[in-house]
Amino acid sequence: MKTVKSFALAAPLALVALAPAAAQEFSKELIEKGRYLATASDCVACHTNHDGGKPMAGGLAMASPVGTIMSTNITPSKQFGIGNYSEAQFADAVRKGVRGDGANLYPAMPYVSYSNMTDEDINALYAYFMQGVEPVDEKAPETKLPFPMNIRVSMMGWNLLFRPNEVHKDDPIQSDEWNRGKYLAEGAAHCSTCHTPRGVFMQEQKSLNLTGGQVGAWYAPDITNDKVHGIGSWSKEDLVTYLKTGKLENRAQAAGSMAEAISYSFQHLTDADLNAIATYVRSVPSANAGQASGVTRFDKGSAGNDMATFRGKNYADGLKGDHAGGQIFAANCASCHGYNAQGTKDGYYPSLFHNAATAGDNSINVISAILNGVDRHTEADHVFMPPFGDQVNAVVQLNNVEVASLSNYLLAQYGNNKLTVTPEDVQVIREGGPKSNIVQLARIGMGAGVAAVLLLVVGFVWYRARRKARPAHAA
Amino acid sequence: MVTKNSADVVIVGTGVVGVVIAEQLLDAGHSVLMIEAGPRVTRAEVVENWRNAPLGVKGDTSVAYPSRPWAPHPMGGEKPEDAYLQFTGPDAYDQTFIRYAGGSTWHWAGTSWRLTPEDMRLNSLYGVGRDWAFDYDTLEPYYVRTEHKLGICGPSDRSQQWPQTGDRSAPYPMPALPFSPGEVKFTEVVKTLGYNNIPVSQARNSGMPYDGRPACCANNNCVPVCPVAAKYDAETALHRLEKKGATLLVDSVVYKVETNAQNKIEAVHFYDQHKESHRITGKLFVLACNGLENPKLLLMSQDDRNPNGVANSSDQVGRNMMDHPARTFTVTTKEPFWSGIGPVVNSGIMETSQGAFRSEHAGAYFRYNNFARNRFVTFAALKKGLVGKALDDEIRRMAACTADIVAAHEILPDPNNRLTLSDKKDWLGLPKPSINYDVGDYVRKCWEVYSQPIGKQIAEAMGAIDIKISPKYNNSKHIMGGTIMGKDASNSVVDVDCRAHDHENLFIPGGGAMAAGACGNSTITMTALALKAGDAIVEQMRGA
Repeated sequence: MKTVKSFALAAPLALVALAPAAAQEFSKELIEKGRYLATASDCVACHTNHDGGKPMAGGLAMASPVGTIMSTNITPSKQFGIGNYSEAQFADAVRKGVRGDGANLYPAMPYVSYSNMTDEDINALYAYFMQGVEPVDEKAPETKLPFPMNIRVSMMGWNLLFRPNEVHKDDPIQSDEWNRGKYLAEGAAHCSTCHTPRGVFMQEQKSLNLTGGQVGAWYAPDITNDKVHGIGSWSKEDLVTYLKTGKLENRAQAAGSMAEAISYSFQHLTDADLNAIATYVRSVPSANAGQASGVTRFDKGSAGNDMATFRGKNYADGLKGDHAGGQIFAANCASCHGYNAQGTKDGYYPSLFHNAATAGDNSINVISAILNGVDRHTEADHVFMPPFGDQVNAVVQLNNVEVASLSNYLLAQYGNNKLTVTPEDVQVIREGGPKSNIVQLARIGMGAGVAAVLLLVVGFVWYRARRKARPAHAA
Repeated sequence: MVTKNSADVVIVGTGVVGVVIAEQLLDAGHSVLMIEAGPRVTRAEVVENWRNAPLGVKGDTSVAYPSRPWAPHPMGGEKPEDAYLQFTGPDAYDQTFIRYAGGSTWHWAGTSWRLTPEDMRLNSLYGVGRDWAFDYDTLEPYYVRTEHKLGICGPSDRSQQWPQTGDRSAPYPMPALPFSPGEVKFTEVVKTLGYNNIPVSQARNSGMPYDGRPACCANNNCVPVCPVAAKYDAETALHRLEKKGATLLVDSVVYKVETNAQNKIEAVHFYDQHKESHRITGKLFVLACNGLENPKLLLMSQDDRNPNGVANSSDQVGRNMMDHPARTFTVTTKEPFWSGIGPVVNSGIMETSQGAFRSEHAGAYFRYNNFARNRFVTFAALKKGLVGKALDDEIRRMAACTADIVAAHEILPDPNNRLTLSDKKDWLGLPKPSINYDVGDYVRKCWEVYSQPIGKQIAEAMGAIDIKISPKYNNSKHIMGGTIMGKDASNSVVDVDCRAHDHENLFIPGGGAMAAGACGNSTITMTALALKAGDAIVEQMRGA
């Protein structure tokens, strides 16, 4: 507790002493380098309210299993942003998760990944955030998590255990390209934040690096080089194409947080950096590796439809029978994806067979795509699948039973026919992913004086907080 | 506070006019209660109603929207004595419209031609019809707002925009949609005759999502329903309005507008589907139940203070019923044209609606219908007794080598084209509307000396080997005129803001207020009038 006190005392002094720090002029080149790194780090995805907010001014609500986290204003506004941060304070926020006033950030901010950034790059990022971003003198809404999640100091213990403290060092055995790729993939691009499963304390399980994990309402799949479960069947060019365009025809397309990562980050990176990331990611082996060959999630299913069973009958009757899923597909999906789910020749509307979304090892992305739709901007186009959840712009607000029927039809007809979906599964995704009863447990635990529970709780806070509490109206 | 039986503003009808006004009022902080006669259904149900319908009944788009007993609307194939609409006079005012939550934009094509400055000064310039109570420049900002509210796409090239006269103060929010092969060919053909076939400005997302709705993916199913909500329809706004606090009552048929001692509107009364009556009070009332139901309701609401019906001291309620009487040339060509890629209406010749001839006869708008033809030609192919590949080939040939060219005419407001209450009653015991209708000499003369010759000339230039012309004037479902706008309270129903001359807290916006409708589809102008009325209501509520 002593440490905490001294932190609290030191913070105001530091602010006063370091206030003039930003007065120095940074070179245009440095600011531009920082802009690129900020793009690679995808700062804007979380630190902007995309429903009319100003860039980097915060205010995006991000649902987590323990409550809603609001992103902060990181513009150089002196009053409401980080305009008074010294470079050292900025570096600590990015790499250590410690705010200018000494308080701990929630690990919704991926500082665990950013901790690998070099001083040189931190310097460039600092230059950009001080002089390349328009200051916005608006207060971002505060995060108000329920007790005991609101005790930020407890993050310090977690950081001691799980936050790396070393910046990236090149591996001399590997190529420059691989090293650059590792630096970006493990750092700025923070792939593991979503694609690596979490342990008991919600830390990234490094031994299972990139083997897949749930991110709120979505599932970030295995992207190791495993030929069956990962993306070992993809060429380097395939992966670069995917990162640039958000899709790989007849295999996969980006939705959810990955669509944002493509929209705001990957498509803007240089070909050299995308190739470097691909080189590194394609070298990451799976700790789960089992079978050497088998059908991947990219080549299951085939064209077909169920129309003969219900066409010509009454819609309400169709919904009652065994073919409700096919009927719901015909009514809601076939107009874009085709009556045989074959998609379009240009790939704007993907086929639903030979598609990772319907053929993964779990049904999360099938359900989530139906409920939340897809929204992805790239240079080539703006891919937009409308939602079918309870959003105001849902084309149809399908209920849990209907989504389950539809999911089961899609899985059986076009994807992983070993999976089934229940209405309860749909409700979990509708609520933004698995909820935790950890708040209640922690309160009981603290009553009993069990500090370990608090640690667990705080780990959960940031558990995949990247899942956004989307504004219902996606315009 | 909005409750189940009271709100600041009570809006009767949930079509495009009602929902744009509702949103303005909600955004201004007023409570809004909307009352819809018919049911609320999902898009999925409508889509499947249509797809499940046999080909033989698909000539009537209403098959996707079966009417409820308490809220009848015109359905195809009804016997005249059973039909909801009753007709007298030489022509039948045989419209279709939908009494469903979301209203008739469910099945509109999305076509959004603005009026021209000349269209609004018909009497001054040509000595016929009526002038509008204000000019084009007054309406223009509301057109812009409508184009952005509904998401109307259109060309950025000024020479391809409509109208050519009159300024446009802002570009369309989205680019025009590309032409189908048939439209490309048609455009080339009419060019040789000196006509300019231009892209339709239309409420449809072209090449991009807009307002949380997806891009058009060319189902060619706009009528009777856009299966993906890429076309604007008012149903797409309902959840948003509710989230903003609107209360929406469905299956609730308003049958009386009640006035008080000051002759202001005090309440409306509705029957639920169990024939029980309810009363809703409010500070201000908007009737937005379309150009046919509005005058019917006003006439039904007659009381001691308003013996001709509410808002009817001028005796103009229900008169001046207008539409765009249309004749269709079904053309069989030697060479294939191929319609059906893209929206069902995607281009048109508008310049033929304008000219000095309007002192003598109507103008006309020509369009190449872009509906896929297979639905229309299959029965003809079957009648030829063909089977197997020969049948397939014939359907394919006729789908490619036939086309519908439609000439839509301008009609003048005529007080004898009149909606009255029939002595026939509907399921609830309410009088059915009866409409006396004659398209008039202005239209007939146009057909004789102008639109028919032009249509034939176009058909011949297309290489027609056969031309069939519809024997009578078809209705365009553009219901206008029945609560006509004017500055003079003695010969009009509403003022420049669509406020009833007789009742300061009653607004009757929409097509009924249009004093002249020219040749272009009416919804964009109805919506512009709704936005103008909405501004006036917000202003008026400030003092309330």
